[in-house]
Amino acid sequence: MNMVYTNNANNKSIDVKPPSLGTGFRTRDVIMDAQRLGAMHQTRISFVRTLLRKIDKEKWTLSTHLWDLDENGYGKVIYRLHTPEHLYHLVVFCNELADEERNDRVIAQKWDVTFGLVFGEISGELLDNLQANVPLQEAGRNSNMLMVLARANKSVRVFDHIVSSLAAGQQPDLDVLAQVGYILRTTAVYGNGKFGIYDFKPLDHSADFDQSFRAQMCAVYLLREFSLDWVDYLAQKKGSSKAVALHPEIKRYLGIGNATGLGMAPYLINHPCVVDQWLTTREEALQATLTCQIEPKETAHFASLIKRAIQHFGEIVTINEQQIKLNETVVTELMVLQNNLMTTINHYVTWAEFLQAHHDLSLESQEVIISCLMELYPERVDAFQEKINADESLSLPKGKVIQDLIDVLERHYQWAINIDFSQPENSHWFWYRSVDKEEPRLGVRGQEMGADRELALDIARQANKLYFALKQVNAQQLISEFILNQPKYRSIARRVWTMGHKQLGDIQMNVLHKDALPMHLLRCKLSMFGATKFDPRSDRWVRITLFQGAPLFAEVHSDEWLFPLLPDLSTEQGGLTHDRIA
Amino acid sequence: MIVSHNEIVAMVYKAFTGMHREVGEADVIATMVAELQMAGLDGVRHFNNASPYILTESDTPIDIIDQNAKAMHLDLHGSSLACHLPTIIDYALEKMGDSAHFYIYLQNCHNRWLAYSELVGLAAKGYACLAKWDNGSVPKHTLFTLNQGFVYPDLYFFDKAQSNYNTNDMVIEIATQNFDIEHDIQHFDRKISTDELFETHQRAWKEGIYVDDEQWAILKKTAAAILVENSEASSRGAGGV
Repeated sequence: MNMVYTNNANNKSIDVKPPSLGTGFRTRDVIMDAQRLGAMHQTRISFVRTLLRKIDKEKWTLSTHLWDLDENGYGKVIYRLHTPEHLYHLVVFCNELADEERNDRVIAQKWDVTFGLVFGEISGELLDNLQANVPLQEAGRNSNMLMVLARANKSVRVFDHIVSSLAAGQQPDLDVLAQVGYILRTTAVYGNGKFGIYDFKPLDHSADFDQSFRAQMCAVYLLREFSLDWVDYLAQKKGSSKAVALHPEIKRYLGIGNATGLGMAPYLINHPCVVDQWLTTREEALQATLTCQIEPKETAHFASLIKRAIQHFGEIVTINEQQIKLNETVVTELMVLQNNLMTTINHYVTWAEFLQAHHDLSLESQEVIISCLMELYPERVDAFQEKINADESLSLPKGKVIQDLIDVLERHYQWAINIDFSQPENSHWFWYRSVDKEEPRLGVRGQEMGADRELALDIARQANKLYFALKQVNAQQLISEFILNQPKYRSIARRVWTMGHKQLGDIQMNVLHKDALPMHLLRCKLSMFGATKFDPRSDRWVRITLFQGAPLFAEVHSDEWLFPLLPDLSTEQGGLTHDRIA
Repeated sequence: MIVSHNEIVAMVYKAFTGMHREVGEADVIATMVAELQMAGLDGVRHFNNASPYILTESDTPIDIIDQNAKAMHLDLHGSSLACHLPTIIDYALEKMGDSAHFYIYLQNCHNRWLAYSELVGLAAKGYACLAKWDNGSVPKHTLFTLNQGFVYPDLYFFDKAQSNYNTNDMVIEIATQNFDIEHDIQHFDRKISTDELFETHQRAWKEGIYVDDEQWAILKKTAAAILVENSEASSRGAGGV
């Protein structure tokens, strides 16, 4: 039946709901500042966390459907995932790869592991198709029963060390593991119809994967299971009766790595409604916490989380000098906070007052505090976890005049209209796609080729141009009439109007500026996924871990696992080292 | 071949962006093409046919020839409708105000099939819509009608030219009540019903969207115009490790 619209024939424009974030504690200028976005951490409504709670609550099951690997670990493996609603399979192909062929960039042609999450059963024909195409990644042509297409490379150092240790009957050296935190590192995880796979839209009615990126997160979580099974298997093959299995605490400590480059940044700029939705939801969840009165039980919980954060940031290994300093600052600041907590906490009635009082700390520390606060009231925070998807339409209103649009720009786009784009530093960079697998890249305007094919990621510059064009015309002219005369402004006008009426709106960043750091955008998105251990390899490239410290599938639970810690194996075998709150 | 909705959207977006036009919005045009393809109405082919003309046609606003409380006449100077229709619809609805009926007469325009998703979008705003155009080849005349409350239109095809349109014109009627089309459809030769379009659309989501291989290759080639060739500096531009 194709009748869905109610007849609302009218000539009234539907105004977007005006911004009204709960307590109004933090303004959009604060929240959407790129530097603050670039300091975000995992929270309990990050996608990896909500996924695991869902798996636990709905009692999803996982079994090994096929294990067809040779003694060197090459071949294919299939896991079968059952949910209350449906059946899925994770298909993994392991390939032999020379060290010199291992490359994390999108331009790579081969990988240690390629994998996909399949909707439903796998027939022989489908398996043949997957085997022929999944290892080719972008160069293949996949079935639309494939929901996620991805690949990963080994951390060779960790992989070899773990396998050889276990084969010799020993557990691996934790110092080696701490350098990396994972066995496999994904270099792209594709969903939503990329390269012919399943579109996201038909999942609207799926109880399992109707949230953006949930299928991708699930595929990565199952890959983690595979990586742990894989090293146990290879150690057994290599060491026979001498071999031991990897200690459960170490298994929990190891996540899946991810190497992310510039490609993630355009997503955030091209999907402003999604970003607004994610960050609005996060902010609403935070504010539900901030309005609570400080009580002894929550204070004790908060103190234990801060303690863990201090240890976590002290344990992180990164090669990036700036990140090392940031982590050191976090440890120093949080230790001071921790030492004085039991006396200073009495100065505040609500957590909002507490957070406000710490606004002079580094952004990283403030964001750690926010992540900890959001753990204190699960019932309040988790109520927001479903509010992730967004209507992405950008539209213009009926019956509004130029002055209305100018008002929006002056109220919410000062960060853009105040920029002097005649100054070279404000349009230093241009973004483009390379012929090399369409890899997004940055070039210096005037020095490098490709500015004539610049991607339209210059929202600040477009908003700036729109503002000054609007100032040239009659303020009482209808917007629709202005656009009819100057249609080139329609796209940015739609965006400004729509985002100006959202709770948080556009990320406030001129990505063309000489000092703009795409890393901030990467960090924002990765933290929403639930990344930990940010390890920038340059200002455009970062390695992180996902599911580090997460429970294994067989023991999945809904308790928190914020800030993974190196296990202490001096305790009893299998003993927990996290002070988990039941 | 079978492609996904997102692939069509992404590919058309890149293809149109690579044309470096001031007028026309890549995201909107990408949706136009994808929706038409999902309806089984050859969106990709229509866009491919339009591409060479879009590259060379005038990149300027359209002219209002005449307008009054009931109608407006516009000259598109031989441009593709895809680049202008969203703006025209916005303006027309504003002009229509509280009227029950409004005519949009479009002259000298191309690629009228690409109007499909914008016309369908009117239903979401609570309007009924009727659109007519003549073609140089069979079918000589096409009538699109979409009643209030429906998501998919009825399409009528006529092998003979029906009346008085130039082959580069189009008439769009917007109304707050459904149209009586009995007279208009007396001699139609073929029809695609709203239910058929609904089923085609649903099937496309489920099984993927069929696109002719050759048409897809043409689209991919157009989309490649946005790509920048490699250089030593370019390779460093990703900041990769």
